[in-house]
Amino acid sequence: MLILTRKAGEKITIGDDIEISVVEIKGRQVRIGVKAPPELAVHREEVFRRIQEENLRAAAVGPELGDLEALLAGRRNRK
Amino acid sequence: MEIATTRFGRIEIKEEKMIRMTQGILGFPDERRYVLLPHREGSSFFWLQSVDRPELAFVVISPFLFAPDYSFDIPDAVERELEIERREQVDVLVLVTIPAGNPRAMTANLLGPLVINVERRLGRQLVLDPNRYPLQHPLIPDAAPSPGEPAAAGEGHKAAGAG
Repeated sequence: MLILTRKAGEKITIGDDIEISVVEIKGRQVRIGVKAPPELAVHREEVFRRIQEENLRAAAVGPELGDLEALLAGRRNRK
Repeated sequence: MEIATTRFGRIEIKEEKMIRMTQGILGFPDERRYVLLPHREGSSFFWLQSVDRPELAFVVISPFLFAPDYSFDIPDAVERELEIERREQVDVLVLVTIPAGNPRAMTANLLGPLVINVERRLGRQLVLDPNRYPLQHPLIPDAAPSPGEPAAAGEGHKAAGAG
């Protein structure tokens, strides 16, 4: 991994169209600006990872599903 | 064409019914082709079955059946990617997580919905704002939590005896 030292207000460019700027450093928090083409998805890593993990859990459904429909119907009846 | 699936055996699908993911579902970057199969006739649940990986299938459901106020903006770049030109082309499905042995505790992922252009048969998973959308929205609000998890204190619902 390339590791660079930057001060607040300084930037890093990646390729021609991606620009990362250190907007503000305050204690243990760093505000980072990302300028990237719209087709590139930019996410906080932990959000991305949580969805990925949930997808893996969702894919682990066994063949024995029970009667999902009845479960949902039960929910509606109790409303 | 005929495809192999772990859950449904070999099944015949129409190629024009296939949904191509412009980006893989997160965690499954290489699986791009899926078909949507009804769980049962008339069911609200569907299976999103991978065409290329027999054992890979997700249970999905329309979020509007249980979260009528659910809405989000589709970024312009995603609209272009999915060739969306009109609202009517768009369908939204969410992945359902069903804990083994406790299906009543099933949850829907409202944070990472699937957006599908049903006319062009193109889809992808979006990542929404975690401050606004839950990763695990209970489908049955008063369902008992998964075994081993203590029930949340102060939940006023009746005991889930009818299920």
